[in-house]
Amino acid sequence: MPAPRRLAVLRCLDWSAVVAAKNSTTPCAVIHAQRVISRTPAAMRYGVQVGMRRRHAQALCPDIEIVAHQPSRDRNAFDAVVRVVNELVPLIEVSEPGLIVFAARGPSRYMGGDGPMASKIVEALETSVADSHLAALLVGVGVADSRLAAQIASHASAMASSSANLFVPYVVEPDKTNEWLAPQSVRVLGEFASINRETISLLERLGLNALRDVCALSESILAGRFGELGVELHRLSRGDEQYPLAVVPHPPEHLCIEKFDQPVSDQQIIINSVQRMAVAFTEYYSVHGSVCVRIIISFESEAGKRSERLWYRPQGLTTSAIIENAKWQLEAWLASQLAGDISGDPESHAPESHALESRALENRALENHALENHGLVRVQLIADEVRTDTARQLRLWGGSTQTDETATQAIGRLSELLGSSAVQVAKWQGGRDILDSYELVSATHAQTIGSASSGEQIPAQKWRGALPNPSPSVVYSEPIQVQINDQFGKLLSVSARHELSASPVSVIIGATHYKVNSWAGPWPVEERWWDLARSRRLVRLQLVCEKIAPKNTATENTATGRILIDSASQILAMLVILEHGEWTVAAIYN
Amino acid sequence: MQLDTKQRVTELSIKELLATQQLNTKPQVVERLAVADDMRELLPDSGLVRGRIVRCSGDAGLSLALSLCSLATQQGSWLGVVGVDHLGLLAAVEHGVALERTVLVHPPKTSREWSITVAAAIEGLDLLIVAVPERLSVNDARRVQTRLQSRRAVMIIVDNTMLSQSRSMHGSNEAQQFLADVVLDTKTKSWSGVDRGAGYLQHRDVRIRVSGRRVARERNYLVTRSC
Repeated sequence: MPAPRRLAVLRCLDWSAVVAAKNSTTPCAVIHAQRVISRTPAAMRYGVQVGMRRRHAQALCPDIEIVAHQPSRDRNAFDAVVRVVNELVPLIEVSEPGLIVFAARGPSRYMGGDGPMASKIVEALETSVADSHLAALLVGVGVADSRLAAQIASHASAMASSSANLFVPYVVEPDKTNEWLAPQSVRVLGEFASINRETISLLERLGLNALRDVCALSESILAGRFGELGVELHRLSRGDEQYPLAVVPHPPEHLCIEKFDQPVSDQQIIINSVQRMAVAFTEYYSVHGSVCVRIIISFESEAGKRSERLWYRPQGLTTSAIIENAKWQLEAWLASQLAGDISGDPESHAPESHALESRALENRALENHALENHGLVRVQLIADEVRTDTARQLRLWGGSTQTDETATQAIGRLSELLGSSAVQVAKWQGGRDILDSYELVSATHAQTIGSASSGEQIPAQKWRGALPNPSPSVVYSEPIQVQINDQFGKLLSVSARHELSASPVSVIIGATHYKVNSWAGPWPVEERWWDLARSRRLVRLQLVCEKIAPKNTATENTATGRILIDSASQILAMLVILEHGEWTVAAIYN
Repeated sequence: MQLDTKQRVTELSIKELLATQQLNTKPQVVERLAVADDMRELLPDSGLVRGRIVRCSGDAGLSLALSLCSLATQQGSWLGVVGVDHLGLLAAVEHGVALERTVLVHPPKTSREWSITVAAAIEGLDLLIVAVPERLSVNDARRVQTRLQSRRAVMIIVDNTMLSQSRSMHGSNEAQQFLADVVLDTKTKSWSGVDRGAGYLQHRDVRIRVSGRRVARERNYLVTRSC
């Protein structure tokens, strides 16, 4: 039985909203799929809660600033915090933007106890962000024997600090974690240990409201009811780690090291070599039936500077996760080095002498400049914690199957070839318009979304007022002009009561004429009539048309450079929209 | 008598030779990706055979391509949609395509860049729906096809003609750089569900003509599809 580790968790409450807000006093909420996922303290005062609909949040606080979710922004900004903490604690683990975990034993001994250590770190953090837009940041530090307990404690600390207006660390006494966890509600499992909502709800319906109740059951009963998840629940609620440490002997330590003969200054080359190493690294451990859950990635520059950081993923680090983390670390490190260069830091040999100001240095040219002075000479991957691989199936990205792994690699390669904006994946966001219901996000960003535990899947549902099934398979992002006439050749119009002026009879696209066989509609949409800038008023119509064969194709060829609809198709079903007095083809049922 | 034995010996040796040759050539395993039940009878091998090219043309081509892919993506294959500009994602979901394993790629329309992109996609994805640019050279197309066969992926070509917004009239029959193994040519016969101002589009009758290199005899089907 290994000795319990003391863990400290530093939590920046609602990090993504605080980063997104323009200044520290404006209420701001970050929205994903029409729901609030994070909000600033100012918005919290109005009663805006996480999980609320966008509309509801706006009703509570009309001045609220609504920002779309953007994981890369959170990640880049978080490095300012990481750097400050890194000054005081040498080896830290960044679980996600807004959350830092580190072993508490060493630092708290050095700084005179858990409480003083926490206060000292937070003090340093607050002075560094005091005059920036992050000043409203709420920080909490929790120290406990298990990860779950430390996370809950950090949250409690942040909440207490916000109400007392003074930083209060929350320290759970050593060996008291069990007792401390016992009265907590089972909902904390969902909030901090990413146990899904259905399981939590089932536990509550079974009458297991506190962790104490879960703990009182025997592990085998839980295992019989929930399978592997039951064992996990029991372990969490009695204050152990979610995934146990390996009981089988570890495979001999595997050293993954790459030394460059000449200092390398191209970021892409470094990432490529990390990729090679990561593949060998994960392969080595999977051959031994185990998986690495904590890894130290270390870079060393020509000047002797070093960047070492710990990365943790409870499900085990896949190749793509290692590469992603290495990229994050490398970019941040280069940015900080460059910041040091600009401020004219003479002591270039002092390790980790970072300038504290946070700069958004995304410019690649600048990064390469940084590397010219500090070419890398060594890259190293060290396994810090290994456990047996239980072959857990992962959702979405970073998959554990072979096809997922190769596909992820191919997607990475494609993004490299074409730029990240040309390789996209779809995410449901909901909407009435056929174009709105799915949002296209660049695939490289989606990978970080998939890895974060916060991104809960929302089931795709049709909006009221959306078109009935089936949906068109060709949707134009820029609608095509079309002319729709009635039997007298007059343009079709729609009255204020959403009635057609006459039956549609003919359709003209470019120079091609169509005869209307049947139609359905009109279906009106009036959206956001209270907001002048974003209001929409339109009418939709489904048409089934038949092409009228042109008398002379040769003359038609010369007459039009643009012909939109294939001449071979005789019957065509399309969706047309009347907006601002103009008919357009929005989609075709191909 | 003597002659007979001699003959037998030569016969045996030839048989032996053939046997060893058969051993040397790999047994031809036709592995295929599963397709939904209603699609199975359309395809000659009742599935999407890896390494082959299927062309879905005509005015129901894209929806047909989507429903061909649906079961395979649900079972864990990844789908890349390359160069198809105006894909309706809702329609893809309704056909059963698993969007969490779907990537949309928008390469430049030049021959070389397009073929490099498709080749890179073939490396890691099992299924591709591609729209072939008009200017793709035959050489590049052949390279892509060789890569496809060696990597055991399936490529479904959809017509670009319906999708692109600007197209010259003479380009309609030119996108034949790829020699498709199976060609599914569709033609909508009628739509049901709409009337003169009532109802909504629900079903359609589609004539599907199956031809191509791997199809022994051209066949015609009349299918009622939900889209």
